[in-house]
Amino acid sequence: MLPDRLAAHLGVSAAAIALAIVVAVPLVMLLVARPALRGWVLAGAAVIQTVPALALLALFYPLLLVIGEVTQRVAGFGIPALGLLPSLLALALYALLPLLRGGVDGLASVPPETLDAADGIGMTRRQRLIQVELPLAAPIVMGGLRVAAVWTIGAATLATTVGQKSLGDLIFAGLQIEDWSLVVTGCLAAAFLAIIVDMALWRIETGLGERAWGKCLLGLGLLVVLVVGVTGWYWSKRAPVAEGERPVVIGAKSFSEQYILAELIAARLRAQGVPVTIRSGLGSVIAFRALAAGDIDIYVDYTGTLWDSALGNKMPAPRGVMLATLTAELPKRHKVEIAASLGFENAYALAMKRADADRLGIETLADLATAAPRLRMATDTEFQSRLEWRALQAGYGLKFARLTSYTPTLMVRALQSGEADVITAFSSDGRIAADDLKLLADPRGALPAYDAVLLIGPRRPELKARLAGLAGKIPVEAMREANWQVDRDTDKRTVQQAAAWLEARAK
Amino acid sequence: MTAPAIAPDAIAYDDVTVRRAGNAIVDRVTLKIAQGSFVALTGASGAGKTTLLRLVNRMVRADAGRVRVFGEDVADADPPELRRGIGYASQGVGLFPHWTVAENIAAVPWLLRHAPRRRAARVAELLDLVELPRDFGDRFPRQLSGGQASRVGLARALAAEPRLLLLDEPFGALDPETRVSLADKISELHDLAHLTTLMVTHDLADALTRVQRVIVCDAGRIVADGTPASLVASTHPAVVALIAAPLDQADKLAALRHPELVR
Repeated sequence: MLPDRLAAHLGVSAAAIALAIVVAVPLVMLLVARPALRGWVLAGAAVIQTVPALALLALFYPLLLVIGEVTQRVAGFGIPALGLLPSLLALALYALLPLLRGGVDGLASVPPETLDAADGIGMTRRQRLIQVELPLAAPIVMGGLRVAAVWTIGAATLATTVGQKSLGDLIFAGLQIEDWSLVVTGCLAAAFLAIIVDMALWRIETGLGERAWGKCLLGLGLLVVLVVGVTGWYWSKRAPVAEGERPVVIGAKSFSEQYILAELIAARLRAQGVPVTIRSGLGSVIAFRALAAGDIDIYVDYTGTLWDSALGNKMPAPRGVMLATLTAELPKRHKVEIAASLGFENAYALAMKRADADRLGIETLADLATAAPRLRMATDTEFQSRLEWRALQAGYGLKFARLTSYTPTLMVRALQSGEADVITAFSSDGRIAADDLKLLADPRGALPAYDAVLLIGPRRPELKARLAGLAGKIPVEAMREANWQVDRDTDKRTVQQAAAWLEARAK
Repeated sequence: MTAPAIAPDAIAYDDVTVRRAGNAIVDRVTLKIAQGSFVALTGASGAGKTTLLRLVNRMVRADAGRVRVFGEDVADADPPELRRGIGYASQGVGLFPHWTVAENIAAVPWLLRHAPRRRAARVAELLDLVELPRDFGDRFPRQLSGGQASRVGLARALAAEPRLLLLDEPFGALDPETRVSLADKISELHDLAHLTTLMVTHDLADALTRVQRVIVCDAGRIVADGTPASLVASTHPAVVALIAAPLDQADKLAALRHPELVR
């Protein structure tokens, strides 16, 4: 997993920096010629910088979808909205500020009397730029480039969320299944890349400053060997794909169950001779849009999620109504089809440590409402913007002493360490049994159903028949156990092992 | 009418105006500078003296009127080509900090594509002329004192053997002793190389004893023009102020009244 992620990471980072340089050079020239524009352009680049890289990447996805739709209508071809393109654009935009700053500040740092002398002895504009301005600006320009390179290599780990292979795959997967060696490997590999690239650029910088062209060439050579060597090796190792036979792209959001189910689907399709690839770590909303746009072909989603995000319903409906409406509406509105209901539910619930719940006499959400003002609630990052939260408010009027959001893994930690009293939980989570958590009952039926369904996109309708055998074959107990196999700290299984275990029970 | 055989003036300003933001900083100036003369251009700061100088190598363009250098209108010249033919030492020297002293001196010959051997010989010659040791050629500008840097600037200006030398405040922030020796050196090179030298300076003390002609600017116009001694007779307030200006005033007056004593 590491070598090809490393190669992809290096490839996308190098391409993004190259793109950023191509954009920055004329912009810097423009800003030097027109200082009045400087404030505006640099402020614009600074604003981009304040957007978290994760959000910037995510924003490019819908943007490219819209642009793709327009080009499809106007010119008859679409553009890929997932993977390389959004990563490239977002990372390049992110690298722009240090490059512009370095360029503008570097050229502005050349003393005016030096420029006057260059003009006065009869240098042309071009000679002045190449002989005087660039060499004198080099340390600051290269400083900007080094910052841009290190940032880009770091931020490229987040490209995983828009479906671009990167070292982030290791980090996201590792964080999810609490495989710290995976997380550390991903981080170290990214740091290693950043250090090598920074060293090479530093060599070029000092070479330029001392006019030691050998040093510049050495640095440049190191970069070229690194990028061309690693990415070239990666391309040569790729399995050749038969003409016209695009592999089925299986999507997975960024949690264990999704990774396991993606592997399970992949194994089933491979067994039928269908080539597959997996794009894991997708954001929840991005996954559905990617399916509708044909960037991925199949993934598992949940009725309650789709009810809100795909159909835009703000209040839940009974389980049967939800499934029936989705089955009827998704093909019409999004050209997406529900191929099968897998047989288990991964619903939101609120959970407490059993001991706490018993001590406070809390059995149901109604009991919780009474005790809530003295309790601290921790949710996962998306819960508070979901309809469940509104439904809980409407149904029980929960008001907590404190409300915090965490990534799912850290949320569980917060409960264990006593920093939170109540957390959100998923009914298929393996930890519920293992950690002796109590799921609070929902007597008023406020929380919607979350039946796991297999969604199929418009490009591969034949998958429905190929995977029909999965319908109703995965009971919640089996899913919990499979999840626990990868989530637990001891006797951990790989995602593939858990998928194989689950497959054996789904026959 | 003058006879056509007479050599053209080195510099001829003909009704030249330069405007900045609506104000004339050079205001309808007509002026001739004969070949071989050594001329100081002076005046209070903002009087337009540097602008007048920079018109000659087209570092500044005239908004009206003509500037001719050896009879050629500078407006018709290609600026880089024009400038390579005119020695120029700018305010603050402006040596290229990333080039060695030798490379700095050889800058114009390099632009003119002279052969490396010819450039090296010229650098050695010029280091001798400005009285710097030959091994200074390998130093970088940051390793030079202010006076040494000024001499290198002068050598750079003379490297391609120009007929015309433009000096903008060559004494800059040098200490008095260094100023005197640099002024002597400029004067010596002027004679040696048969140059026409136009020198902008705000401080008359160093110039008066060496130049043949002093031109005083005020508010973009020329308010006095003559031999150093003739300036004393001027009643123009700008000239009076200049002569009465700070710094060893008594010396200056002595120099003005009795130049023969100082020389």
